[in-house]
Amino acid sequence: MNPRQTVGPLTGLRVVELADEKLQYCGKLFADLGADVIKIEQPGGDPARRIGPFYGGVPHPDRSIPFWYDNTSKRGITLNLAASDAQRLFRSLIQRSDVLLEARPPGYLPGLGLGYEELSQEHPRLVMTSLTPFGQHGPWKDLKISELVSMALGGPMASCGYDDHSVPPVRGGGGQGWHVAGHYAFLGTMMAVLRRQASGRGQWVDCSIHEALSCTTEGAAVAAMYEQKPVIRQTGRHATVTPSAPSQIQCADGRYVAGVGWLRVTDATWEQLVAWLGRDGMAMDLGDPRYRDVAVRAAEAGHIGEVLEAYCLTHTAEEVFRGAQALGLTWGLVRSPYEVVHDPHSQDRGYTVRVEHEDLGQSFQYPGAPYVFGVSPWGVRRRAPHVGEHNEEVYCGELGLPKERLTLLAEYGAI
Amino acid sequence: MDYRGPLSGIRVVDFSWIVAGPQATRILADFGAQVIRVEYEGRIDSIRMGNPSPGSASGSPNASGMFNNLNRNKLSITLNAVHPMGLELVKRLISVSDVVIENFRAHVMESWGLGYEEMAKIRPDIIYVAMSGFGHTGRHKMYSTWGPTAQALSGLTYMSGLPGVPSAGWGYSYMDHTAGYYGAAAILMALHHRERTGEGQFIDISQVECGMVLTGPAILDYSVNGRPYRRPGNPPGNHSTHPATAPHSTYRCAGEDRWIAISVFTDTQWAALCQAMGNPAWCREERFASRTARVEHQAELDHLVGEWTAHQDARELTHRLQALEVPAGLVQNARDRVEDDPQLRYRQFYPELDHPELGPHKFEGLPVHLSETPGSLRQAAPLLGQDTDVVLREILGLSDAEVAELAEAAVF
Repeated sequence: MNPRQTVGPLTGLRVVELADEKLQYCGKLFADLGADVIKIEQPGGDPARRIGPFYGGVPHPDRSIPFWYDNTSKRGITLNLAASDAQRLFRSLIQRSDVLLEARPPGYLPGLGLGYEELSQEHPRLVMTSLTPFGQHGPWKDLKISELVSMALGGPMASCGYDDHSVPPVRGGGGQGWHVAGHYAFLGTMMAVLRRQASGRGQWVDCSIHEALSCTTEGAAVAAMYEQKPVIRQTGRHATVTPSAPSQIQCADGRYVAGVGWLRVTDATWEQLVAWLGRDGMAMDLGDPRYRDVAVRAAEAGHIGEVLEAYCLTHTAEEVFRGAQALGLTWGLVRSPYEVVHDPHSQDRGYTVRVEHEDLGQSFQYPGAPYVFGVSPWGVRRRAPHVGEHNEEVYCGELGLPKERLTLLAEYGAI
Repeated sequence: MDYRGPLSGIRVVDFSWIVAGPQATRILADFGAQVIRVEYEGRIDSIRMGNPSPGSASGSPNASGMFNNLNRNKLSITLNAVHPMGLELVKRLISVSDVVIENFRAHVMESWGLGYEEMAKIRPDIIYVAMSGFGHTGRHKMYSTWGPTAQALSGLTYMSGLPGVPSAGWGYSYMDHTAGYYGAAAILMALHHRERTGEGQFIDISQVECGMVLTGPAILDYSVNGRPYRRPGNPPGNHSTHPATAPHSTYRCAGEDRWIAISVFTDTQWAALCQAMGNPAWCREERFASRTARVEHQAELDHLVGEWTAHQDARELTHRLQALEVPAGLVQNARDRVEDDPQLRYRQFYPELDHPELGPHKFEGLPVHLSETPGSLRQAAPLLGQDTDVVLREILGLSDAEVAELAEAAVF
C-alpha cells in the first residue's frame, strides 16, 4: 500500500501552524493523518531548524533531524508577521483555513491585531489553539521555560532518577515535555473541530504545558491528594511512598530486563515461574510449598530477587524476556530505539515507513504511527519542507498573489 | 445533568481497565461523552482494589483514590460478558453506541465473540479501539505490557538516565498516560471521519508503538547517520546536547531532596545568572566565556553553580532567577504542585468532588481550556455497578421482568 494514495481521517482539514519547537509535533499529528498543514516560519526559517543532530553531522537549516521528524507531511512558507503586508496575507490564509495552531507568548498576537478576538470576527468558524508554558493567564504566565524546566515544575522529573539520592532527579529523555503538551493541544483542538460540525462556530483553545505535565505523573498526584505524601524516586521502576524491590535486572549479555515483578502473580503463574527456572536447575528453594503463600513471597522478596538475578546472569535479556512473556508475565527488555524498529514483530506489523528525500537522492527509514486505522490510514505524505519551499505554491497559487509581488515581499524581508 | 460539552451525545462502551484505557476515556468523559464502564466482579479492575485511601473500608472496590481520579464522570454497570445473556446485553448496548474501547490482550474480545466484524454487524458505523501491548497483528501479539514494559521495549527507558550507568528509566507509567492520549486522539479523528463519510472503523493501538513514535529523532539519527544513542555524554540526562549549551542541569538546593533546574542558552542569560550569583570572580574566567567554552568545561561549571544553589531555597531561587529572565524552575514534587503552586491554584487545577465512600477529594483538572465548550468535572468515579439499573432500563429499555430475569441468572 502506498501511503501517499491513502486518505487519512483529517483529509480536507486545513491547519495553519505558527509553531516553534514546542508545538510542531502537534502539527505533525494533524499532517500525517491527512490534514493540509501549512507551517509559517520567520524568513530564513524557524529556530527549531538549528537544533541537531543534522544529516551528515553538518548544521544546515534543511537538514535538522528533529525538524525532519516533527514536520513530515507539512507544507512550509515564510512570513514576517510584524510586516504590515504580511498581516493581510496571514489574514487571508486564515480565512481559508479551519484551524490555527500557535505557540507565541501570551499577548503577542493580540499585540499585532491578530488575536483570537480579531481573527474570529472575520472568521467565526476558526478554531484557534494557543499552546504556552503556563496558559494565557495566571501569575506564572510570563515565566521562561526550557523542556528541562517544564519537566521540573510540572512534576515528571521528581519521580524519575536513581535509588541514590545524592544524584539529582533525572528527566525522562527524548523531549517528552513537548510531546505531552502537543498531545493535549491536539486533543483540545480536535474537540473544538468536532463541536464546530454541530455549532458552526469555532472557539479558542488555551493549552498549558505546565498543566499537561501536571496531569501526566500517574500515582504521584494521587499520593499527594489522598495521603499528603511525596513518592520516592527509584532506579528503573515506579516512584512509591514506600520503597519497592528492584525491577531492572542485568543479564548475561550485559543488557537489562525491566518491569520484573512476581509479587502480584497468581499462584498458578508462580508455579509456572518456578518450573521455568527449574528447567535450568536454577529454582533454588523456590519449589518449597511454603512459597505458595503470597505472604511468604512478599516476606522473602529479597531472596526471590536474588534467585532471579542469578537466573538472569546466565541467560541473555532476550531469552529472559521471551521466557517470561510466554508464561504471561509482563516483563520487558531495555531496548535501544533503533533496535526495536528492527524487531521481527515490528516488521510483521510494517511499522516503519520510508520517506523520500529527493533533494539528497536518498530515502530514510522513519518511525511509523501510534495507531493503525482500519479505513482511513496514517501516512507520511512528504518529507519536511525546506525553508519557504511552498511560498510560491501557497501565495501565488492559492492566495492569487502575482509573482512580481512575491519577489518584492522577499526583497524587503516580509517572507 | 445539564452540562453540554463538545462530546455530548457520544456514547462509549468502555471495557478498559488499569490505567491506559481509563486515561483515554477520562478525556472523553471530561468533555461530555457518556462513558459506560462495563465491569464484572469476577474480573475486577485491579485499580479498584489497589492503594485504598487511608481510613476507607478494607476490601471495598470503591476505596481507591487512583481509581477515583481516573474514572470521574463515568458510569459503571456490572455485566458478565461471557454469560450468553450478558453477551446479548453487551450487543444491545453496542447497537446504541458510537465507540467501543478496551485494553485487553489481543485475543480477549474475539474469544467473547465480539471482534470488529461482529460489532459491525450490530452497528455498521461503530468505532472500535483496541489498545493492547503489542497490537492485534504480528508474532508477539499475545505478549502483554504494563507501562514499564512498554517504556523499556520502545526505547524510552534506554534514553532516560545518565551516561555510562544503567538507565534510570521512568518513575511511573508514562506510557499508560500516553497510550491513553493516542487512544482518545484516534477516537476523536475516527468520529471526525464518520461525520464526513458515515464510516466507522477498527483502530489497532499498540502501547509499545505509541512509545516508539516518541523516540523519532533517535531512530532517525541512527537510520540516517548510523549514530547510536548511547555514546560518551549520552543520554544527556539533564544536560542539553542539542543545542549544546551549559549550564543546563538540575542542582541541589537547601533542605532535604530539594532541587532546581536551570537552563542557560544565551550569553545574556549567562550574564544574568552570574549577576544573581553576585558575579564571583570565576564567572569571568576564560573557560566560561562563551557557550562553547562553558559546554567544554561543563563538569566544573555544574560543580560551581551547584555549590551556590546548595544554600538557596528552591522556590525562592526560582522566582529570583525568573525575575532576571533565566529559565529556571524547582523540581516540584506532587505535594508542591497540589498545595503550593501559585499558577495551578490560580487556574483552579485541582477541583474537589464528593465521593460517597471516600468523601470530598481533589482531582486533577484539565490542561486544555475551550472558550465556548469547556470540559468539566461533574461527579466522582462510579461505585461498582452503580448505574446498572439505569442503563438497562433507560438506555436499553428493559422491563422490570427482564431485569429480574437477568438478576436471577446472575448476569450482573
